[in-house]
Parts: sequence; structure tokens; C-alpha cells
Amino acid sequence: MTSLLELEHVTKRFGRVVIAEDLSFAVGAGDVVGIVGPNGAGKTSLFGLISGDLAPDAGQVRFAGRNVTRLDPADRCRLGVGRTYQVPRPFADMTVFENLLVAAQQGAGLRRRASYAAAVAALERTGMSSQGNVPAERLGLLQRKRLELARALATQPTLLLLDEVAGGLTDPEVAQLVEIVRGVNADGIAVIWIEHVVRALTAVVSRLICLAGGTFVGDGEPTAVLAEPAVREVFLGTDVTAALAGGTLETTSAADAEREPS
Amino acid sequence: MSLATDTSVPISADFHVTRSRQNVAWTGLGALVVVVVLALFPYIVYSGTTAILVQAFIVLTLASMWNLMAGYAGLVSVGQQGFVGLGAYFVLILALHGLSPFAALPVAAIGCGVVALPLWWLVSRLRSGYFAIATWVLAAAIMLFIERFQSLGGGTGLPLPGFTGMNPTLITAYTYWVGLAVTAAAMLAVYVLLRGRLGLVLTAVRDDEVAARSSGARVGLARLIVFVVAGIGCAAAGGVLAISQLQVQPTAVFSVQWTAEMAFATIIGGLGTIEGPIIGTAVYMVLQQTLASYNAWYLIILGLVAIVVALFARRGLWGLVDERLHLRLFPVGYWLRTGAGNGRPRSLRN
Ligand SMILES: Nc1ncnc2c1ncn2[C@@H]1O[C@H](COP(=O)(O)OP(=O)(O)OP(=O)(O)O)[C@@H](O)[C@H]1O
Ligand SMILES: [Mg+2]
Repeated sequence: MTSLLELEHVTKRFGRVVIAEDLSFAVGAGDVVGIVGPNGAGKTSLFGLISGDLAPDAGQVRFAGRNVTRLDPADRCRLGVGRTYQVPRPFADMTVFENLLVAAQQGAGLRRRASYAAAVAALERTGMSSQGNVPAERLGLLQRKRLELARALATQPTLLLLDEVAGGLTDPEVAQLVEIVRGVNADGIAVIWIEHVVRALTAVVSRLICLAGGTFVGDGEPTAVLAEPAVREVFLGTDVTAALAGGTLETTSAADAEREPS
Repeated sequence: MSLATDTSVPISADFHVTRSRQNVAWTGLGALVVVVVLALFPYIVYSGTTAILVQAFIVLTLASMWNLMAGYAGLVSVGQQGFVGLGAYFVLILALHGLSPFAALPVAAIGCGVVALPLWWLVSRLRSGYFAIATWVLAAAIMLFIERFQSLGGGTGLPLPGFTGMNPTLITAYTYWVGLAVTAAAMLAVYVLLRGRLGLVLTAVRDDEVAARSSGARVGLARLIVFVVAGIGCAAAGGVLAISQLQVQPTAVFSVQWTAEMAFATIIGGLGTIEGPIIGTAVYMVLQQTLASYNAWYLIILGLVAIVVALFARRGLWGLVDERLHLRLFPVGYWLRTGAGNGRPRSLRN
């Protein structure tokens, strides 16, 4: 079986910061993969390489059997890559429903009626049904993250890239989110999920990747990966065993703290 | 008019989608009344007044086009005078070949739309500041190119033929009606564009281009369409300019002042709203008429107004109105209704 997503010998650097160093990996259709790594490891940038927001310095990105390295984000989205942004990027002056319509019409290529239905389905799936007519700029950070998820879903992806959508959620909310992701995956959609809230990941992923210094210091069965000395090394100072039991790898994501909308 | 009907599309038993909350029929009716009343002006006001209104029509048309580019598509052009000038010259060329200037105008506008395609190829790769400079250089190059033709009057231009034997009062009235028609068509085009599928893309690009792209929006294509439409609109305004001045003079029609005016009116009124350019044009015309005799003061006050608005009304004057009244003269949005179609909209806006 061919993989849905393949990165082949991908290298990406920002000056001296190494995001990916000759990195190769594959994700199959319907897989659920978790990614952890210290702040600034390049997890978000890796999503950029997959979604087309960033171009690799070297190597190839293949999606659904095609070389998409030179394809722009819009075309990759149309092929089935749906992504969320860690720092939400809503269409602020549009309503939540209109945000989703953009995704349904452009990303999924749906005609009018079908796009309405897809947008409503995304609202329902993410529990935002009552907020369809709310201008996106009125949403708080957590709701904006939810909108990110809904908008990515409205593009009807075959690969969903989730970038820290669970940060700041309470336990019941995390459980609810995990249920949403399970439901999405049950429809055959592959998911790659970057998250500091490891208990959310371990609840749903079958494979965990630890990214640091441009390489995978761990890749495999979640419990085994979290037990590896190299992974523990990366998270020096945080207790990985405790993280697995229910904590988070980084207690606070510095990036999130400063991004609370005013 | 199909635009004026507010069709409701049922999704399931629980959801209904209507275009915008307000009834769009009022927009259509209101616009129609305004256009009809304005059309009667040549019968009731002095020709001096209609001449000023023709100027306002030109500025409003230009501002609406610049708004489409800068306010939605993220294209800050400093070279739209290139299309104003080309439009004027295309009208002149067709008139020299015996066509009535009034009939020449739409042909000239479409012709400029065609010319916009290769020009887009030249500037499309550039962003922000580079795009602005490139469009400016391009406009200057077009003027220098046209000045080479002695048959078009070289550097001094030519009077516009085709008016001989016409009653001057009639010329004034026709000019006014053509100006009104061009403006109404431009506003309608902007409205239809923004209400449609492409409008949703442009509004998304306005709000967040990166997110629009990764949501599947082909931003380049949307920009191309906007550039061509703006080229047609600015050329039509240039045609009106040529007709209203009865002559075409290169330095006048290719003046960068046109871009300054359209940018001023748009920014003052509110970038990225259909209503903004209308308010902005009104403010601009009032300032221009009251201050025109003060020369230097005119520019200083224009600058001061721009600074004050930039400081205290970041989203322009229409932004202030919208903040308080949540009003849309030209609704383009989508409204999700729950229940069997007659459920009250759930909204935070009220
Ligand atoms: N466009 C860019 N130009 C230069 N440097 C960048 C750029 N984008 C990211 N970086 C740098 O690359 C590194 C990786 O950033 P990235 O956001 O991908 O990390 P991350 O693993 O997602 O971190 P976090 O856990 O905080 O979200 C950081 O050091 C960042 O400063
Ligand atoms: Mg990140």
C-alpha cells in the first residue's frame, strides 16, 4: 500500500535553526500520528512544509502519490491537506459560517448548496452550531482554535494537520476534542496532531513522533517513545512518565500565553 | 432583478441559509431610486452642478476600483492612472476613426481590460511596495509610449472630435448621464463580484491571505480578475474624463493625482467595504469644492484629514458608522438560520 503523505530527504533551515535535516517519513491513509517536541523544535514549520506554506531547501514532499513540493497551499488543500494554525488565523470580519464556506467552496470545491451543508456539518461536528453567525473577531482564543478545526474539516481533507488545538482546554473539553478527532479518523481521514498535552495524544494516536534538532529522536508506539532515553533527554526537567499519566510535557506553552486575544 | 430577491436555501430540517440578514430588495430599491433621482438632475440643476457631479462620478468609480484592489485583493497600486489615461486615449482613437465618443467608451473600457492581461503578467510576481512601484513605472511608461504618436497629438494631446454640431446643453447632459451610467455600472459590478463565489474568496484574502490560501483559495486567480476589472473600471472613468473635458492631454489623464484621489477617498471612507468609497468620495468632493481656491491649504487640509482619520478611525468613516449601527447598505454576507426558516437569527450583533 502506498502512503498518503511522504517526506523524502527533506531539509529545511532558518539560518542556524535546523527544522528538518534529511528527514524522511511516511503517513498512511487513516493513520493518526502524534508529534511532540520542545518549543521551537520546528513542529509547526514541519506542518508548513506539508501544507505548502514553507518550501523545503532540499528534498521532496509527496501527497496522494503526487510530488507536491512545488504546489502552493491552495492546490495542496484541494488535494486533501487540511491544516489548522497554532496561532489561529480566522477571517476576522466574516462570520464563523462564512469562514467555513470559504473552506467548503474553495478547499472542497463544493457548489453553493453542497457548501452550505458541508459548513453546517463542520459546525455540528465541532460543537459550534450555535455560533454560525458570530463574527469570528468576537471569538475567544479557545473558540478560535475550534474554528481552525472546523475550517480545516470544511475543506474535506484526507489528511488533517492539527497544531496544538488542545492547549488551554479543561479535562472534559480535551476528552470532547479527542472524541471529535476519533470521529474524524473513523471517516478515514488521516490525522497528524502536534500537541503538548500528551494525554490528549496518547488517547488517540497509534504512533508518536518526537521532533528535536531537525530529526526524529523517537518514532513509534507512544508508550515506548515516551520511555526512550533520547526523548527523556529532550524533555529534561519535565517528567515524561508523569506526562504520560496525564500531565503536559511543557506546563505552559510560552507561545500560547502571549497570544491571548485582547 | 435576481439580486434583489432573497432566496433561502434549506439545508436540512434544522438549518436555512439566506443571503444576508437584511432584505436585499431594499438595497436594490434604494439604489434604483438614487440613480433615477440623479438621472433627473440635468433637468433641475445648473450645468455647473452637473459638472461637479461628473467629477464625483469619476472619483467614485476610481475609488471603488482601488478599493477592490487594495481593500480586498491586497494590491496597492500607484499606477491606476495608467488605465485612466489609456481609457481616455482609446476613446480618442476610436473618435478619430469616426465613432461617437459615447459609443467609444464601453469599447475602450473593454479594450483596456484586454491590455490589463499582459500588464498583469509583468507585475503579478511582485508584492506590496514593489508592486506599487512597478505599477507606477508602468503607468509612466505607457504615457511616454503614447506621447510618441504624433497622430495622437504627441506630448500636448488633441481635442476630442465627434461633438461638432451638437447642442452644448445636450453635450453636458449626455456627459452627465454617461458618467452616472459608468458609476452605477461600476458599483453594480463591485457588488455582484463581492456577493458571488469570488467575493467570498476576496473577503477571506482581505482578512487573512495565508489562511485563505491554505483553505484552498486560489489567490492569484482572484487577483488577476480584480486587476482586470479595476483596469476596465478605471479606463471607463478615463473615458468619462476625456468626454467631460472635450480633450485628451497626456499629463492630465496620466496624472498620478488620480491615484492619490482614489486612494484618499477609499481610505477616508473605509478600506475593504463597498460603502467606504461612497462616503470617502463625498468627503473628498466637499473638501475639494470648499478649499479649491486656497491651493496649498487644500493639500494641507487633505493631508490633515487623512491623518486624523488614520489615527481615530482606523477603518475609515464607514467603520465608525458600522461600529455603531451594524449597517450594511450593500449586504454580501450569508446568514445561517435555525428552525424551519422563520426562526429568529441568533446573533451577537444586537
Ligand atoms: N519564517 C521563519 N523565519 C525564520 N525563523 C523561523 C521562521 N519560522 C519559524 N522560525 C524558527 O524556527 C524554529 C521553529 O519554529 P516552530 O514554530 O516551527 O517550532 P515549534 O516546534 O512549532 O514550536 P512551539 O512548540 O513553540 O510551537 C523557531 O526557532 C523559530 O524561531
Ligand atoms: Mg508550533
